[in-house]
Formats: sequence, structure tokens, C-alpha cells
Amino acid sequence: MLAALPIPSALALPLALALPLAIAPPLAQALPQALALPLAQELPLAQELPLALIVPAELNATRLATGWAIFQGLLIEALPFLLLGVVIAAAARWLAPDGRWLRRLPSGPLLGPLSGAALGFALPACECGNVPVARRLLAGGAPLGAALGFLFAAPVLNPIVLASTAAAFPDKLWLLLCRPLGAVVVAVGLALLLALLPERELLQSDLLEERWLRQPLAAVSLLERRSGLVGAMPEPALPPATLVRPSLEELLRHTSREFLSLALMLVLGCLVATLVQLWVPRSWLLAVGGAPTLSILALMLLALVVSVCSSVDAFLALSFAAQVTPGALLAFLLLGPVIDLKLLGLLSLLFRPRGLLLTTGGAALLVLLIGQWINLWQL
Amino acid sequence: MVRNPAHDARNAAILRAIALGLWALVLLRSCVDGRLDLLLRRSFHPLVALSGVVLLLLALLQARWAFGSAAEAPSGRPPQTRPPKTGPPKTGPLAAAPRATASQDELPARSRRLNPAERRDGWTALATALLAALLLALPPNPSFADLAAQRPPDEGSAGELSFVLPPAQRSLTDWVRLLRSQPDPALFDGDPVRISGFVLPMPNQPPQLARLLVRCCLADATPVGLPVRWPAGRPAPEADQWLAIEGRMALEPGPSGASLVVVPSTVRSIARPRYPLEP
Repeated sequence: MLAALPIPSALALPLALALPLAIAPPLAQALPQALALPLAQELPLAQELPLALIVPAELNATRLATGWAIFQGLLIEALPFLLLGVVIAAAARWLAPDGRWLRRLPSGPLLGPLSGAALGFALPACECGNVPVARRLLAGGAPLGAALGFLFAAPVLNPIVLASTAAAFPDKLWLLLCRPLGAVVVAVGLALLLALLPERELLQSDLLEERWLRQPLAAVSLLERRSGLVGAMPEPALPPATLVRPSLEELLRHTSREFLSLALMLVLGCLVATLVQLWVPRSWLLAVGGAPTLSILALMLLALVVSVCSSVDAFLALSFAAQVTPGALLAFLLLGPVIDLKLLGLLSLLFRPRGLLLTTGGAALLVLLIGQWINLWQL
Repeated sequence: MVRNPAHDARNAAILRAIALGLWALVLLRSCVDGRLDLLLRRSFHPLVALSGVVLLLLALLQARWAFGSAAEAPSGRPPQTRPPKTGPPKTGPLAAAPRATASQDELPARSRRLNPAERRDGWTALATALLAALLLALPPNPSFADLAAQRPPDEGSAGELSFVLPPAQRSLTDWVRLLRSQPDPALFDGDPVRISGFVLPMPNQPPQLARLLVRCCLADATPVGLPVRWPAGRPAPEADQWLAIEGRMALEPGPSGASLVVVPSTVRSIARPRYPLEP
């Protein structure tokens, strides 16, 4: 069945990355006694140094087995949220197949992102669940600013995340105010920044085609829509496009395909996050906790690496809040929901590489500025 | 040879059903075989189980339609589930459900082959199915000591303290939080201790007895540990070994003042507990 199908290059990397982890657990079960632990016990320094520093990481089967577990933890925790997002996107497609209400969202440079951000209150999910919903907004023809505002702000502006932040930091009123405000600022800033790129340079081609179908001919030409008498449609002329409600079969088929595609990208993101976690001790990133600027940069890096869900990142931040500057703490809570290693794969299904780079760079710059401002104010 | 699009579509649907079924199995099996206890905070477990059920339903529906379509179109005639509609060919992995569902008989022969999006979907389903099979075949077996060695100790606030609990009923985590909130160690000198945890080697110190605190999953785990005065004359315990210790708290002088250390009266080796992670 699949003999005639060429392996797409997009799958080569995840499969290549998966291979070492695939062989790790059996190695880990067989080798610790033969390699890692006896070595640690025989060396006189065994009592003084952690195992991680004694055995080279490349040879440490125990480390690989731990990595396999971290990978599974990240993936299994994120999958339900991804599924929730896909189901919500499917429901939106079912309820509003022509996306008319999406196109009625405000399109102003400020009002657009703000209205998108406000939609976050309707979706109590972390950033993984937001990607398929944001994709549906874009595909349905919603104004770019509104969709981007939702994508970047909704992981923070939702009841669960706000409640978990309040539970973790009940005595830090400034943080409870600055986190949602900062998320809105970052979302508006990124939406304005990404709007500088033409849509065809920002969004992936398949998403763009679907999006243009929902836009009026005054805005998108027939050639761009690849429909009507002009364009790439090779088939015989068919009835004019009518965006009708899909059948249940079509809807579930589409939902399944979307879930599997996103899951594959999620796997890739979790693999990268795991590998970086294994090879970069977290203490290195926290070592500069007291330096105003360095601490912000370090915590931003930590947010990228840890890739923890936005609904619980406040509790993680609690474990090192006393070691870092206030600006760094806020930077950790602002950057993670917008971009992290786990999310990169998912976002690559929305944005072209240039858009992805702009998102990462823009988010980092905005969060750094906010963090610096907080440090000036709080320190 | 002209490919049969009906069979291709059915095969793709079967592959999707298998992939979804395997992912459902990953989630559901993780709930029952204790894997989740090792990976995730317990509050997430119901969500994982629910997702497994939803994925299983999706897989069953996909399989039903795939085999139903095959039964309806045994001669290679593609099933017509929808009236013809128009739309451009989709090319991406997330392209909308095929809107060009006009009967394949109406299309020219050159279009009777899998388009790139369908090919990519086939490979995506295959790759995700293989990954799910890998997850099923290789359960996690992490080294808590190795993980803890990579992480700085937890410095979080006291959280919910068990002041009302008698000392002998406090867990290792309770003790750590209590000592952090009450910095005068003399208050607890001589208190009975009954704790369990894994052995965590420490740089320039004897190994501690430790636990991992998890807010979400293993990726954010941070260790908490208590120093132990290990019995003299015995080899130090192995890293990652799970021990149950009964004894007393004792003051031990140090460079930065006296601190508390667990002085064991009995040390038992135990199996890893069912819920090794603490919130």
C-alpha cells in the first residue's frame, strides 16, 4: 500500500531522532549494572560527584533511559490538550463551515489582536491546544491580527492559567497583573510585527489556500485562490464553491488527519526539548539568577527548553522564584506560552520559516524588554 | 497500471484507524499499567484516560467507514459519500477534508492517483503508528537520581504543611517543607522519623534520601532531599535505590551552623512505590 509513497523529508528528522531513544531503554535496562553504576562505585570520587558528572553523557545508558521517560512524560501530558484543540477546531468547522462569524472579528491593528486574545477565555487549554484552533481561525478567513492575538495571548488569558498563577503566587499581586497584561502586549506586538510580512511569506501554502478560499474575491484574486476559470484547477468545471456543513464522516476524517499531523510535529518538539534537557543541566541556567539582564535571558532560555504547559508553569516557576529576579520570573511565564521547543514543530505547520523566526525573535525581544522594565521597577 | 483511488482511500483510512487506535492504546494502557504514575502528576490522569477513549472512538469510526466503504465499492468504484462539490486540490497535511469529492469516475485518468496531500497523510499515519508502537513496546524506566542530579533542588514555598501530623507520619516532602518554613532546627531535634525515598548522590556530601516533586510531568521534576547519617562501616547505598528509613532527627554541627540530619535506626530496601512522584 505504501510502497509507492516516497518518504517525505519532513519525516526523516523525527525518525532519525527517534532512533537513539528507541534503542535507549533496552540498553538502559541491560547496561546500568554493567556500565554506569559499577563505574561510579569503583571510582574513589563516586561519593563526591553525581553520576551525571562521572560517566560521559554520550555513554550513559541511564541518561538515555531517563530521557526516554522525560520524552514520554512531555508527550503524554501534551496529547490531551492537543486533542482538545483539534476537537474544538472541528466543532468550529461543523458549527460555522463558511467561517462567516470569523470574518466578522475586528481587523484593526490593535482591536484585532485584542479581540483574538479575548477569545482565549473560551478555551481553557494550554498552547498545544491553541495551535489547531488558531489554524482553524486562519483557515476560516479570520483577520490575521485576531488569529495571531488568539494564538499568542490565549495560552495565558484563560481561566485555568490565571487561576494556577494566582494559586502559585497569591502574595505577588504585581505578577498576577503583569502576566496577563504582558501576554496582551506580546500578542499585540507580535501581531503587528508579523503583519509586516505578506501573508504568502508568513503562512504555509496549504493553510493559505484554505484561507483564501474564505476571503472575498475583492481581496484575493482567482489566480491566488486557484479556483474558478483561472488557476491551477485541472479538473472539469464543477459547480461554484459552496462552503456547506461537512458530513460527519468528512468531519471526523479531517479531525483524524489533523490530529495525526499535529501529533507528529508534537513528537518532534518533545524530542528536541528532551535532548536539550538531557544535555543542559538546569543549574547552569539558574546560576545567573541575581544578574538583572542575564537572569532574564537565562529564564527565557529555560522556558524554551523546559516546554512545560502554560497551565502549570507557574507552579514550576515557584520552585526557583526565590533565586531569580522578578523580571526573569515574569519573562519565564510570558515566553513559554508563546514559543518553546515543543511548540516549534506545531507552529511550523502554521508559519513559514521566516514567520517562525520572526515570531521567536520578536517574542524574545518583547519579553526581554518587559522583564527589564519589571526589574527596574521592582529591584 | 492505474491505481484504484477507492482502494487507496480505504487503505489510508485503515492506516489512520490503526494509528489512532495505537495512540488510544498508548494513553489507555498508560493509565492502567502504572506508567502514568511514573510520568505525570495525578491530576492529569483522568484527562489522559478521557483522551484515550476519544481517540479509540475516532479509530473505531474510521475503521467502520473504511470497511463500510470497501463493502459498498467492491469493484473498485469509489464510494460517493457526498454530492459533488468544488474546491481546489489540497496539498498540505492539514488541508481540509477533501472537498473535491466529486465522483472519481468524472475525473480524468491522470487524476486517478494519490495526490501529494494523500501521500503525506499516508506517511504521517504510518510514522505516528510506528511511534505509538514504540511507546507501547518500550515503557519508561527513568533513573530518578540521574534526573535529580541535573536539577537544582526545589526552593518553593512551604505549601500545605502537615503541622498537625505526628512527626513519625510526616513524609520526606513534609519534613523538607517544614524545615524550610521553620529554620530553627533545634525545634525538631530528637523527633521520630519514618520516611521513604530514593538515594540521591550529592557532590562533596554523603548521599541524601530524596523525592521528586512534579507540577506537570517528569520534565519539570525538581528534587527535595534530607541528609542522612548513614551507618558507619557499611557501604554507601547505591544511587536510585529506594529505601525506607526509621530513626530520629539529630542536630549536626556544620560550617554554617547546626543542621538537622536523619539518624536511621533501621534502613530497609523497598521497591519503587506505586506513586513515586509527589505534588
